[in-house]
Amino acid sequence: MSASVSRRAVLAGAAALPFLRGARAHAASPGVLTFGLSSFPPSIQPWQNTGTAAATVKLMIYRGLTSYALDGSLRGELAESWNTHGETGWEFKLRDARFQNGEKVTSADVKWTIEQIAAERSTAYFRAEMQRVAKVETPDDRTVRIVMRSPVATLPVWMASYHLPIISRNSPQGSFVGAGPFVLDAQERGVSLELKPFKGFYRAGLPKLTGISAVAYQDESLRVAALRSGDVDLIEYVPWQAMDSIAADGALNLDTVDGAFMFLIFNGARPPFNDARVRKAVAHAIRRDELVRAAFFGRGSPLMQLPIATSSPFYNAEFKQGWNHDPDLSKRLLAEAGHANGFSCSLLSTAQYGMHKDTAEVVQQHLAAVGIRAELNLPDWSTRVSIGNRGQYDVAVMGTAADSNDPDGIANFIDGSLSPSYVRSHGLKIDRITELLAAGRTEFDDAKRRAIYRDMEGTAIEQVPMVGLTWRSQGYAMRKGVTGFKNLPGALTFYSGLTFETAEVA
Amino acid sequence: MLAYAARRLLLSAGLVWVVASLVFLVIHLIPGDPAELLLSQGGIAPDPAAVDELRHRLGLNLPLWEQYASYMGALLRGDFGLSLLDEHPIADEIALRLPRTLELIIAAALISLAFGMPLGVAAALQAGGLLDRLLSGAAALALSIPVFVVGTLAVLVLAQELKLVSAGGYVPFARDPGRHIVLLLMPAGTIAVGLGAVVFRVMRSSVLEVLERDHVRAAQARGLSAAGIIRRHVVRNALTPVVTVVALHLGTLLGGTVLVEFVFNWPGLSGYLVRAVEARDYPEVMGIVLVISTLFVLLNFVVDLLYAVIDPRVRHA
Repeated sequence: MSASVSRRAVLAGAAALPFLRGARAHAASPGVLTFGLSSFPPSIQPWQNTGTAAATVKLMIYRGLTSYALDGSLRGELAESWNTHGETGWEFKLRDARFQNGEKVTSADVKWTIEQIAAERSTAYFRAEMQRVAKVETPDDRTVRIVMRSPVATLPVWMASYHLPIISRNSPQGSFVGAGPFVLDAQERGVSLELKPFKGFYRAGLPKLTGISAVAYQDESLRVAALRSGDVDLIEYVPWQAMDSIAADGALNLDTVDGAFMFLIFNGARPPFNDARVRKAVAHAIRRDELVRAAFFGRGSPLMQLPIATSSPFYNAEFKQGWNHDPDLSKRLLAEAGHANGFSCSLLSTAQYGMHKDTAEVVQQHLAAVGIRAELNLPDWSTRVSIGNRGQYDVAVMGTAADSNDPDGIANFIDGSLSPSYVRSHGLKIDRITELLAAGRTEFDDAKRRAIYRDMEGTAIEQVPMVGLTWRSQGYAMRKGVTGFKNLPGALTFYSGLTFETAEVA
Repeated sequence: MLAYAARRLLLSAGLVWVVASLVFLVIHLIPGDPAELLLSQGGIAPDPAAVDELRHRLGLNLPLWEQYASYMGALLRGDFGLSLLDEHPIADEIALRLPRTLELIIAAALISLAFGMPLGVAAALQAGGLLDRLLSGAAALALSIPVFVVGTLAVLVLAQELKLVSAGGYVPFARDPGRHIVLLLMPAGTIAVGLGAVVFRVMRSSVLEVLERDHVRAAQARGLSAAGIIRRHVVRNALTPVVTVVALHLGTLLGGTVLVEFVFNWPGLSGYLVRAVEARDYPEVMGIVLVISTLFVLLNFVVDLLYAVIDPRVRHA
């Protein structure tokens, strides 16, 4: 008897399972968007670089002089217009905007912000750049002139960075009052942040949301599950393996761009990678389509030149196949460099992030095919950063996005005159590239800038300060009810947080 | 007795100090600089001057022995220090997260005991029978499936497909008691799958062993009811190894719920420890390890007390 009842109960229960599907496991408040962050920001100090999750939150709270429009073009933000002023200066005209403490945004606030960033004991990301400011003039409340020590064509681009928001000079000690569309209302450290709209935001009618609840989901699978179950409305860093199924889901939207990229860097301070021929041999040994399939489930595209987006006016189509797969050429170059029988080296990556590890494993196989026997070193990310900064490797896998869609945004990865860093080749100084980057930074004429960067890319293809591997899709996924949120193009994908101001949730 | 307890306490304190010192040494010896890491987030090259400034501000440029002496001195004053990442008081964060992990572990233990003990007794009473074989097979299966697989399957089926529960997360009990318990059940249930199987197996073998003892046969000879014998003479005597095993597992779980906390987004102590190690946040790592090792020692005291409750001979020894 009991066995019969139990079996029936089990069968009935199983049959009922599909009907138990709920619309949402957890109902959200009307107009409040629940956002699944990839990690909890270690800090939201406005001028410090503390990662992309923090950057997204900063874009909710703060605003700079400039920012980006949906098409990736530079737009005015707290500044309504800007022009060059004299030989080395830029003049910004401020719009009528207010900070979240109700005070007007004035030129004095801009001056104070720059001084804070450039201060002796500052840990700001733009500290070195702002220390190149000769003086800041404030002829009136709405006009600010930033005079550099030497011409800087990219200053308005710097001012769009999420690491360079304008902060009220009357902020209480230890806190930072911004002029963004949302105010940080509450936070539970390591768990979530609650934001409410700033009613005095200078763009009329914005923001449209009545609040944002940003919840950290470090596990990418759980982030996707939270979206599917209805716990969250929008997620960032959509894992590549989930993109196809999300795109096919009628209840969800997937918004991806090829924004971030993977690349190889070298230890150029010692043989064999101090020889451009050996570096070039590596560049031509890689089958990038296999990398896209293996590491990114086909969600990306091969990158055989410098990482300048195809949509950029500085994109050079003639170098599209600059580092194409050509194992015979690789072998010839190795033979010319005196390595006809190949050689052994170390290949540094990290086991902490699947995309880095998978990329390294595929690269290892491709290098073996031309005679380079690479031994993998896959420590945790912290160790990888430390080893990279000290140049304790031969070849290393790296992945990131450029600072901006301007070619100067990739200077960090190819300018060997900068201090040693895990993001660029170690001890590999190519004077011509440094010179051309400097020339591009000081050239105001667009046509001349394009010529300079074409020359620079040509030099890079031959001298190989880095090897482009793949563009990788950077995705946001959201419920159909979410509108107005947009993944910005190319390197600006991590600036998509700007569009929270126009986002709505049904 | 008191002198014995004092000696044990002193020995335990010494052990905690040794553990804390070892962790201090190890975390400082492995590569990775907190200042460098904090400013290198998102694959960005930090300004070396900014890194140096941050290192100076955090006291990381001091000789190791000075950092050690300073840390231990602060610890003796009951000061766990501040996080290197955002200068948040570590004691506050541990006080916030420890109850969450304890709650998770205790809930898992209760579920494990609630299912594992009666099923273990039932299997032992029908040793070799169909029920025993079924339950033993299920226990073997439960033990062989990694906890993250159980957790991921639970999320996939219950949250993603059926949408019966949230995929994970945490809501404070004070804010929403019902939702807090719902969110607790999935991770606790996931831990309980493996722990319950352990309880089941220990309980089963322990009952089988006790059933063979003379006092049970004597009770049967006296004509006591089967239920009475099992309840008063078998189960009670069989509990000692179960308590030992569960206590050991609870101690391990204090720092070992990391996978479950990760899969279910439960903001407890284990996940905090892993993130602290990843960021090389030295004071955080030290503080958490110190708390966990202290709790482990305390747990052993509690187990000793429980022995005395279960077996009066221990109390009178």
